[in-house]
Parts: sequence; C-alpha cells; structure tokens
Amino acid sequence: MIPNRKKYLKQQAQNGQKIMGVLPALYPRELLWAFDILPAEIWDPPGDILRANAHLQATICPIVKRGLEFILKESASVNAGYLFPHTCDSLQNLATQVKDLIGTSQPVYTFYNPKAQFNKTTRRYYLDLLQDFQTTLETKFGPLNRAKLMAACELGSKIDIRWLTLQNARRADQLELTNPEYFQLVRAGEYLKPEDYLTLLNQVEVQAGPVHQSNRRLLLSGILPPHEETLSFLDELSVTIVADDLLSGSRRFPITQLDTPVDPFEYLTDRHFLLPPCSTRASNLKERIHHLQKMISESQVHGVLFNIIKFCEPELFDHRFLVKTLKQNRVPLLSLETELLPGISGQDRTRIEAFIEMLDEQVSG
Amino acid sequence: MADNCFAGVDVGSLSTDVVIINASGKCLAEVVIATGLNGGETAQKAFDQSLNQAGLAQEQIKAVTATGYGRASVAFATGKTTEISCHGVGAHHLFPNTGTVIDIGGQDSKVIQVDERGRMLDFTMNDKCAAGTGRFLEVMAHRLELGLNELSDPLNIKGETVQISSTCTVFAESEVISLLAKQTPREQIVNGLQRSIVNRIWSMVTSIGIHGEVTLTGGVANNQGLVLVLEEKLGKKLNVPENPQTVGALGAAHIALRGYHK
Ligand SMILES: Nc1ncnc2c1ncn2[C@@H]1O[C@H](COP(=O)(O)OP(=O)(O)OP(=O)(O)O)[C@@H](O)[C@H]1O
Ligand code: SF4
Ligand SMILES: [Mg+2]
Repeated sequence: MIPNRKKYLKQQAQNGQKIMGVLPALYPRELLWAFDILPAEIWDPPGDILRANAHLQATICPIVKRGLEFILKESASVNAGYLFPHTCDSLQNLATQVKDLIGTSQPVYTFYNPKAQFNKTTRRYYLDLLQDFQTTLETKFGPLNRAKLMAACELGSKIDIRWLTLQNARRADQLELTNPEYFQLVRAGEYLKPEDYLTLLNQVEVQAGPVHQSNRRLLLSGILPPHEETLSFLDELSVTIVADDLLSGSRRFPITQLDTPVDPFEYLTDRHFLLPPCSTRASNLKERIHHLQKMISESQVHGVLFNIIKFCEPELFDHRFLVKTLKQNRVPLLSLETELLPGISGQDRTRIEAFIEMLDEQVSG
Repeated sequence: MADNCFAGVDVGSLSTDVVIINASGKCLAEVVIATGLNGGETAQKAFDQSLNQAGLAQEQIKAVTATGYGRASVAFATGKTTEISCHGVGAHHLFPNTGTVIDIGGQDSKVIQVDERGRMLDFTMNDKCAAGTGRFLEVMAHRLELGLNELSDPLNIKGETVQISSTCTVFAESEVISLLAKQTPREQIVNGLQRSIVNRIWSMVTSIGIHGEVTLTGGVANNQGLVLVLEEKLGKKLNVPENPQTVGALGAAHIALRGYHK
C-alpha cells in the first residue's frame, strides 16, 4: 500500500519532520537526507491555477504554473524552505521571482546543475557545487554530520539498486502491476522518506517468470507520466508501458550500478554523471537517441509514447530531432501534448487507439 | 438480392454517416444525417435509413464497424475502429494510389499516411482548438452572413486577399469583425480565411510529409475554394471523392468485411 501523499506529509510535519518543497528535477537528495530534511517534490500539484497566472506569462509550462500556485498557498507541510534546482530557464526565473518579487515565508534555495558533459573540469565543478550547497544548508541547519551523509548515500544506493531490479523486472513482465500502479510506485519516491520508499520497493513482488505476455509494449518518454486515466486507458487496450525515459522516472537513476559509496561527495558526483542523457542537462542529442534506441531494443517495445508537456522548452527542443530520427529508423511513435489537466480527452483516446491500430497492423503484417 | 452485407457507421461531431457494402465491396447505400444530441439514436436512425435505401433487412448485415468520435455509442456495432484508420482504408478503396489522406471534419482534422495496401503508417491530428476544421469555417460563414456554399465559392480565392493572422477561432473572428468594420469586401475576407485554414492544415501535412497521391476527405472537401488553395500549396491535384463525408463510413464497412472473413 502506498501512503497518500497529503496525509503522509501532514503526518510527518506533525511529527516535527523538516520538509523542504523541491521543484523538479535533479538535486542531491542524499545531502538533504543527511540534514534530516525530507524533500517533498513539487511536480504537478492538483487543483485550479488561480493566483499563479497573475505572475507568469501564458506560455509558461504548467509545471511552473502549478509549482507557483502551490507555493502561493503556503502549504503547512513545507516547513524547511523551497529548493529550485536549475532544470530549465523557466524554473530558474521562477526561483528569482519567488525570492525577490513575490516572496514567501519560507527560505528559497537554488541548486545549479551543470549543463555540460562529463570531464575533469565539470566533475570538479559539480564537487564544488555540492560543497557550496552543503555550506548553504549548514548556515541554516547546523554542521553536516559526515556519518549521516555516508548513511544517506548507502541508503540512496540501495534504492537505486532495487530500482534497477524493478525496472528490469518490468521489462521482463515480471511485475503484476497495472500502468497506474507502476507509476504510482515510481512517483511515491517524490515524497516518501528514503527508508519508507525502500521498504515499499522491497515489498513489490518480482515473479519468477512473465506474468502475462504483453504484446503491446511501449516505451514512455517525457517529463511526467500521463494522467492516471490515460494510463488506465492503456491498460484497457492491453498496452503495457514496460520502460520509461521520464525525467521524473528513469532519468533520475544511474544507468548502471555504482560501487558502494566510499567518499560521499565523490559518490554523489559519480552518480550525477551516470544519469541517462536528458534534455534538461543539455545532453548531446546523439547520445539521447542512442540511449533511446538501446532501451527500445533491450525492452523489445513496439513503439514509443512521448508525453510532452505544453511549453516545455528543453523537451520540445529535443523532441523534433528524436521524432525525426526514430521515424527514419521506422520506430512507431505517438506524441501526446499535456497541460497536466486531470482526465483524458476524447481526442487523446482517438490518438491512442489509432496508434494501437497502427501497431497491430504492423505487427500482424 | 445481396446476401452477406457489411456496414460502416461514422458518428462524427457534426454528421453521422452510414455506408453499406456487399461482400465484393460494392456500395449499396450511403446516408449522411446531422449528428443530434444523442449519437446512439442518430446512428440507429441513419442505419435504418441506409437499410431502407439498400432494401435490406438488418439480419443481412453480418458485421457493423462503428467509427467517429461517437463510435462507442453505437449499440448495434460488432466492432469499433478509429476514424483515422477508417479514412485511410476508405480513401485507399476509392483511390488505390493514395499515400496521404487529409480528413477535415467538423471538429477535427487529420493527416494520415498509408501504404500501398491502405494500412496506416503515420498520422497526426489537430489539437483541441477548432482552427483548421469545418467548425472554424462555419463560425466565419455565420459572421459574414454567408451560406456554406457561398463561402466555398472558388471565385472568392481568385481575387485579392487579406491576411488573417490568428489561427485561433475566437481571435480570427474578431479579426473578421474589424475587417468588416473597415468595409473590406467579403470575398477578400473569405479568401484570407480559406488561406488561413489551409496554412493550419499545411503545418500538419508537413509534419507527416507528402507521400504518393493526396486524397482529401471529410465534409470540408466539399469546399471547392479550399480545395483550390490546398492544390495551389501542394503544387498538384488532389483526389476529391464524390462524397467525401462518407469516406470514414466506407472504410469502416471495409474493415467490417475484412474482419468477418478473418
Ligand atoms: N457543401 C459544403 N461546403 C462546405 N463545407 C461543407 C459542405 N458540406 C459539409 N461541409 C463542412 O463539413 C464539416 C463536417 O464534416 P464531416 O461530416 O466530415 O465532419 P464530422 O465527421 O462530423 O466531424 P469530425 O470528424 O471532426 O468529428 C462541416 O463543418 C461543414 O462545414
Ligand atoms: S516541464 Fe519543462 S519547462 Fe517546465 S519546469 Fe519542467 S523542464 Fe522546465
Ligand atoms: Mg469525421
């Protein structure tokens, strides 16, 4: 059973837990854990967008809009500030706006993610960024306990390893989870304490062999999975999402298993540079396509579903190229555009059904 | 007297169309009526009319494929398929060299790429807004106090034109209002509107690419002015079926036939 997000965080706050609201997407979660801070990630809080629109352009993505709407509500379950990782220009601007113009009762932190390929200099740079972030956190939360950081890294590494196992099991049809259940599991990591998340992941049963032979297998790419209704609709059509290239999913887990942490900062740096290629880190497009192709063949999918968030600049920038190249390579694909509204539109139903009809025809020859 | 017959029922946002074919694919009935508030009832009504037209009893229809946005509401259907597949199949049956289908209906427009057997290879569909659909033209016709036939007159697009810059129906309508206020001749506004809708469709066409012959389906294919503008843009002739509104239903009927023999 996955605890309800709202109730869980409320309970944690009542227990005196420090909770930091973290906007998407990449940040050194282990460092926060070491300061006894629970990161509660803010991707797509539900509800109407009312006040945020007054501060933002119409052409800003709904993640930023929803993020600001959430911040403006001054939720009681965020008591240790907000963290804005530098994911894209829109989020960086939002950080500045919240800090300097709009204001909030909570402190605002930022974390810069280097938009560069791995080399000696960028590695050094990332290490410096981690240390700067440590210093910032120390001024507010007291000195860092290195042993706690070490333990946090070990816990993080266990989550990563378990996650890798579950991803492989999903690919091999060894998980008895519907599409919504699978992504609920992925997304529980956005708010559960790491020890609770690990317990949850460990509770998931991996069957010895395939539980069903899904013959409509898709790879999902984008920032977030589609709304639950869309995921259920895919189940109705006997479609299984067997692998993901989501920023909120597999793009936040290292491609391969890392060695057990020895020095926490070195470990976190290695981990960062072992993340799969991503639009928000300005990864090389060839690398991205290579990674996608590899996932496509390894997970034996029949096609790719892109869930594109409206006005998401980094993703849209890559999307054109990815679509063009995948089409050249005869990979069937469908792109859906989402404004993160609940439910599924009639048009999206038609798009998905038509896509599946197309796949079936191609499979049946 | 036909023995085994097959029907396709296309419950679109504006029109409900039924086509009945026999086992060799010959068309026996073709009906188009306006989709009422209740798609299921309209479908039944159109189906009854088509049976009448063909002189058939319901038992002689061995399979019925429902399509269109109201496809789920057709109680008597034996199967359902999206209008995207159906327009592809229908266009292929009418024009076997079709490689690209452009379906412009009342609420949606689609561009579909098909192979030499009529199987879908790729498609795209307009987003939520009505720009680039029949509905857009209807709103404008109403604003210009023109009938659809007058709006579709190919003469309008021969003369001068004006730029309609908004593709959004609501904004385009206010542009039309201000053009009217400036005494801009209606033909010029119509010309501008036809071109704006074609531009919108064109961006969908280019995202899929043009392959083989291009067949235009859906009610808007009756709009001769628009056909001319689209041909101008394409640099070649379009295949325009005699009855473009029933191409989806025709495709559905063929899918029903194919499914029956599987
Ligand atoms: N003679 C005509 N001249 C111009 N336009 C016409 C004519 N007849 C029909 N149309 C246009 O065709 C449109 C309806 O097309 P069609 O019947 O293919 O739509 P639909 O299938 O009901 O809609 P959708 O596929 O979007 O659900 C109307 O918007 C109308 O403007
Ligand atoms: S959806 Fe795209 S634009 Fe919006 S916050 Fe995420 S990365 Fe930035
Ligand atoms: Mg239609």
